[in-house]
Amino acid sequence: MKQTDKTDKNVLILGLPNCGKSQIFSNLTGEYTLVANYPLSTINIKGAFCTVEGYCYNIIDTPGIYSLHIQSEEASMVREKILSGDVDIIVQCVDANHLKQSLSLTAELTQLSIPLVLVLNALDETARKGIWIDSKKLSYIVGVPVVESIAIKGVGTNRLKQAIETARLPKSPVIFGDVMESALSSIISFFPDSMRHRRANAIFTLLNDQYIEEHIEKIAGAKTLQDIKDTIADLKNRFQWNPAKLLSYTYSRWVDSVYDEIVKKQASAPQSFSENLAKYCRTPITGFPILIGIIIAVFFLVVEVADALTGFLEDLAWKPVEDYIKTVVIDRFWNDLLIGDYGVLSMGVAGAILTVLPILSVFYILYNILEDVGYIPNLTVLSKRIFSKIGLSGATILPMVLGFGCKTMATLTTKTLASKKERYIAIFLIAFAIPCAPQIGLSMSLLGKIGISAFFISFAILVLVEIITGLILNRIIKEDRTQVFIQMLPPIRMPNIKNIAKKTYYRLLEFLKEAFPVFILASLVLFTLDKTGILDALKVFLEPMVKGALGLPVDIVDALIVLLARREASVAIIAKMIEANMLDYVQSIVAVTLTTMFFPCVANVGSIIRMLGLRSAIVIVVVITISSVIVMTVANWCLRLVF
Amino acid sequence: MKDKVDMDEYLEALWYMKENNNMSKAKLVDAFGDDYKEEILQRLINEELITLLEDKKEVSFTEKGEALARRIVRAHRLAERLLFDAMGMSKDFEKGACEFEHTLTEELINSICTMLGHPKECPHGLPIPPGDCCLKAVKTVESSVMHLSDMRIGQSGRIAYINSGNDEEMHKLNGLQVRPGAIIKLHQTYPAYVVECEGANVAIDEDIAKNITVWRIQGSKSDAHKTEPSLTKQKKSLWCKIMGK
Ligand SMILES: Nc1nc2c(ncn2[C@@H]2O[C@H](COP(=O)(O)OP(=O)(O)OP(=O)(O)O)[C@@H](O)[C@H]2O)c(=O)[nH]1
Ligand SMILES: [Mg+2]
Ligand SMILES: [Zn+2]
Ligand SMILES: [Zn+2]
Ligand SMILES: [Zn+2]
Repeated sequence: MKQTDKTDKNVLILGLPNCGKSQIFSNLTGEYTLVANYPLSTINIKGAFCTVEGYCYNIIDTPGIYSLHIQSEEASMVREKILSGDVDIIVQCVDANHLKQSLSLTAELTQLSIPLVLVLNALDETARKGIWIDSKKLSYIVGVPVVESIAIKGVGTNRLKQAIETARLPKSPVIFGDVMESALSSIISFFPDSMRHRRANAIFTLLNDQYIEEHIEKIAGAKTLQDIKDTIADLKNRFQWNPAKLLSYTYSRWVDSVYDEIVKKQASAPQSFSENLAKYCRTPITGFPILIGIIIAVFFLVVEVADALTGFLEDLAWKPVEDYIKTVVIDRFWNDLLIGDYGVLSMGVAGAILTVLPILSVFYILYNILEDVGYIPNLTVLSKRIFSKIGLSGATILPMVLGFGCKTMATLTTKTLASKKERYIAIFLIAFAIPCAPQIGLSMSLLGKIGISAFFISFAILVLVEIITGLILNRIIKEDRTQVFIQMLPPIRMPNIKNIAKKTYYRLLEFLKEAFPVFILASLVLFTLDKTGILDALKVFLEPMVKGALGLPVDIVDALIVLLARREASVAIIAKMIEANMLDYVQSIVAVTLTTMFFPCVANVGSIIRMLGLRSAIVIVVVITISSVIVMTVANWCLRLVF
Repeated sequence: MKDKVDMDEYLEALWYMKENNNMSKAKLVDAFGDDYKEEILQRLINEELITLLEDKKEVSFTEKGEALARRIVRAHRLAERLLFDAMGMSKDFEKGACEFEHTLTEELINSICTMLGHPKECPHGLPIPPGDCCLKAVKTVESSVMHLSDMRIGQSGRIAYINSGNDEEMHKLNGLQVRPGAIIKLHQTYPAYVVECEGANVAIDEDIAKNITVWRIQGSKSDAHKTEPSLTKQKKSLWCKIMGK
C-alpha cells in the first residue's frame, strides 16, 4: 500500500442503533464484523483501513446512538471520540426507514465542525413501502454529499468511497431562537480560541452536561467553568426558559421541515404480514407458544442433523485414523497419548471437530436466522412482566436477552444501564444461569440423547435459579434509582442467506481458532493428571461431593476440570458418558445443568472484570461456582423424589 | 385597565420569584429594570395582595394575592401551551400568552385546561398551577385529548404533549421522535406498550404511556397518516371565543 505524504484520515461511521453501520463498515474495509438485526450488536469502537485512490482512510465502526446528548456510557464513548479532535470525517448512516429519527441526529451533527457525509441506507425497504426520498434535495439542504445505499447488497459502496473524498462541512448549523443564540455566543466567548467544536460544546454546557463540564474545567480551568455556570444561571433566571425543551423543539421543527421537503411520495402502507408476525411474537398468548415452538424445532434439528453429521464424520474421518494408529503405534504410552481416554487426538481433535463442531454449525445457522429476522428484541416485550416481578426495570431486559447469544457481549452491553444496582444484577444473572447460544446447542444435543423432556426440565431449573437469584440480589443490593424502558424494535426482515452463511462461518472459525488449542491443551493436562495419579487422588477427594450430594459418577470430575479451560470441551466427555450408559435420566439432567452454570467461561470473566473490576469478578465467580453445586444438589434430591 | 395589566405583570413576576425561592424586593426591582414603578408595588400593598416583611426587604403574598398570582400564571402557561401545541406557534407564543393572561376568565381557563387534558407543564417546562378542573381530574367525554393508555389498540392520535419530569426519558423519546405533533399508533398494551411513531416501533413502560397525551384523530384508522387531525368542533368554537374576546 502506497502511503501518501498526508496522514491517514479518521472516518467515523455514526448512526442510530441497528441502522446498518457495521454492514457499511464491512463493505468499505472488507473486514468482518458482527451484523445483526438488533440494537447494541456493536458495543465497542473498531477501526480498519480502506484505501481510495492512494489515500488511506481509517474507517471506524461505532455503537449506535440516538443523540449526542444522551448520557449513557457507550454514547459518551462515541461522543468523546468525536470531541477528541481526531475524527476528520463523519459518515452518518441514515436508516431510511427511520428518517426522522436519523435526521434528528443529523441536526446535532451540523453543530460540529467536522465534514459530513450522509448515507441513505436500506432504500430497498422504503421502496417496498412506497416511500421515495429525494437524496439530491437532502444533499442541497444540509450541504453535504448524500449517498443512496442498500448496504446489505453492497449497493452504494463505491459511491460512498468517492463521497468520503468530497465530504464537506454542513452549510450552516441548525439555528435556534434569538435568546438561545445569544446565550450560546456569550458562553462561547468564555471558551479559549484553541478549543474545538465551540458551538457544540456551548450547547452541551447549556444542557448541564456533566461530561462537558469536566472537559471545560480541564482545558479552561475551574474559574472559567464557574463563570460560565453563573452566566447560564443568570440567563435562565432572566428568561425563565428550559434550554433542553427549546433545543429539542428547534430540532424537531428542522427535522419536520426537511422531511416534508425530501419525502416525495408516501402511500399509506397496509399492515404488512411481517408487522403482524412481530406482534404475535410479542403477545403472551401467541408469543409463548411461538417461543416454545421455535425451541422444539431447533431442538430436533440440532439433535437429528448434528447427530447424523457426527456419525457421518466419525465413520468417514475418525475410524480410519483410529484404526491406523492402533496398528502403527504399539507402545502403550504413545498410544494413550494419541487415542487413549485423554488422548490428544481422541479427546482434543476429535472432541472439538467431530462432536462439537457439527452441533455448533447447525445451531449457529438457526440462531443466526433468528438474529437476522429480528425475532430476539421482541422477546424483551414478551418477557417484560417476568422481569418486573423480579424487580428489574425494562432497561435490563435487552442485555439479558442478548445473553442467550453471547454472554461476553451481553455483559458489555450492560454499559447502557445507568443504575449500578441493575448493572450488577444483570451481569451476575448473565454469568450465572443464562445459557449462551453454543451452550444451548450443546445441551440440546446432549439431552437429546435421552429425550426432549430432559431438556425442558434442565431449562426450567435454570429459569428458576435466575428468578430466585434475581429476587435475592434485588433484596441485598440497595439503590432505588429506576430506569425507564424505551426500546426501539427492529423490523422483521427476510433473512439474507449470504449474511447468515458468512456469520456462521466466522462464528465457527472463531470457535476453532480459540477453542482448538485449548481442547488439545485440556486433553494434555488431563492426560498428565491421569498418568501421575493426581486425577485419581482428586476423584477420591471429591467423591463425597460428586457422588453423595450430586449423585453423579465420579468420572464427571474430568468434565469439570476441562470445563475450567473451555466449556465445550466438557461436552465430548459427557456425551461419551451418556452414550456408554454411565448416566441415567436424572444424572444426565444434573450433569448438563451443572456444567451450564459451573464456573463462568474465561471470556465472560474477562468482560466482568472490565465492567466491575477484578474484586467483584472474583466474588461473582466464586459465588456462582459454589452456588451451582448447591443448587444442583437440591435439584438432584427433588428430581430423585419424582423419578 | 392599564394599571390592572401592570399589577398582573408584577404579581406574575413575584410568582416566578417565589418558584425560585427568592422574593426580595431588590430582585423585583432588578427584574423590571428601568420600567420599575414603586407606585404599582404600593397599589398591590393597598389592595392587600402583598405585604412587605423584614425591614421592607422581603415581599410576601397575602392569601388573596397568592390566589390571584396563581390564576394569572396558570392562565399564562396554559395559553402558552395552547399556542405552542395546538396552534403550532413557535416564535410569538410567549407574547401571545402574556396578552391572554389578563383577559381570560376563570371559566375559560378551566375549559382550555380541560381541552388540553390538564397539562402539568408549560412549553418552557415550568409547572402549571392546577385549577379546580385538574383537582377534580374529571375525564369528561367532551375533552378532545386522551392519554395514550386510554387509547384502543389500533387507534392513532397526534401527540399533544408529554408530561415528564425526567430529562433522560424526554431525550430518549425525543430521539425516537415520540414528541408533540407526531402521529402515534398503539399496537399493543400488554406485557408492555408498543407504539408506532414515524415508522419506528417502540416499546415503552406503562408509566410512560400514561404521561403521553394525544389528540384524537377523527375518521377511519387507515388514513390516519394522511389526514391532518381536524380541529374538533369544541376546540374551534373555543378558539373563536378566545380570538373574538
Ligand atoms: N433491508 C436491508 N437491511 C439492511 C441494510 N443494511 C443493513 N441491513 C440489516 O440491518 C441490520 C443491522 O445491521 P448492522 O450493520 O448490524 O447495524 P448497526 O448499525 O451496526 O447496528 P448496531 O451495531 O447494533 O447499532 C442487519 O440485520 C442487516 O442485515 C439494507 O440496506 N437493507
Ligand atoms: Mg454495528
Ligand atoms: Zn405574562
Ligand atoms: Zn412558559
Ligand atoms: Zn385542569
